[in-house]
Amino acid sequence: MIIIFQILFLIFTLFAIVLVVKRKKAGEIGKKGAFFWVLFWLTALVAVWWPNSTSILANYLGIGRGTDFVLYISLIVIFYLLFRLHVKIESIGRDITKVVRKEALDNTYENSTHS
Amino acid sequence: MKIAIIPAYNEEKSLGSVVRSLLNHVDRVVVVDDGSKDKTAKVAFEEGAVVLRHKINRGQGAALQTGHEYARLHKVDYVLHFDGDGQFDAIDIVPAFEKIQSEQADILFGSRFLGKESNIPFIKKNLIFPIARVFNRWMTGIKLSDIHNGFRILNKRAFTEINIKQDRMAHATEIINQTRLNNLKFVEFPVKVMYREYGQGFSGGIKIISDLFTSKFVSK
Repeated sequence: MIIIFQILFLIFTLFAIVLVVKRKKAGEIGKKGAFFWVLFWLTALVAVWWPNSTSILANYLGIGRGTDFVLYISLIVIFYLLFRLHVKIESIGRDITKVVRKEALDNTYENSTHS
Repeated sequence: MKIAIIPAYNEEKSLGSVVRSLLNHVDRVVVVDDGSKDKTAKVAFEEGAVVLRHKINRGQGAALQTGHEYARLHKVDYVLHFDGDGQFDAIDIVPAFEKIQSEQADILFGSRFLGKESNIPFIKKNLIFPIARVFNRWMTGIKLSDIHNGFRILNKRAFTEINIKQDRMAHATEIINQTRLNNLKFVEFPVKVMYREYGQGFSGGIKIISDLFTSKFVSK
């Protein structure tokens, strides 16, 4: 059973890495981003193909099981990415405000009595 | 020239009388219609205000900053922040201008806690405000008797140096913070506030803290 999952995961990982390379070529993600995602998928692949590798790391950090270690790391990564997304949205909101403001100042409605 | 800036979002009912009451005290009333869905802009224009329209709603802080940028483009000496919902009393305007001029201050903050009677809801007065005051003081390093009071007067130096980046309600804390960072001289002045609606409750406060925190990580 586990072999089927491992093979499926391998195919999926290869697919994901190809996608990352494509996006890098298209300029949608930078060098750092591409490096992070390739590393991410390779790490996941190692963890799936050699499940014991996570246990070694977990024991080293004093966490009981390898799967727990993976879970904790995943949570940290997800929270970090969520936070980054939140900041990005705020930053986009400020850009929208600038555009809206410029438009408002360019089209002032006032009576001719004002100069 | 003295202008009043009124950020307005769906205030067609109260805005007309507010604009009328202000025109006696300032040279120009600038209403920033913040993407209202009602006739806010039309009412303001018909009452003789200059109207700047945000095509989409961006928040009170964004609207005030748009007003400041209008002031920078015109020969404005003082801007008055005033709410469009009728919670402030125009009677306070002339003495407030006298105060900021006689004290040679750069910015004047209206305060509900310097003697004048305001009908502040009980929980706000006794729970939310004390917490917010401590928080504001800790965030900004300036001790004020009131928090998040929308009545302010800024002179040219103040409205040029203060750049409101907080689009929503956290701008009130941001203005106090920039007052300190730019070494602006400030005074407080008692104003009367008539509560028509409850305004921001506790969740509003949490949102403000969250906005202030997030902005630490937003570049620009």
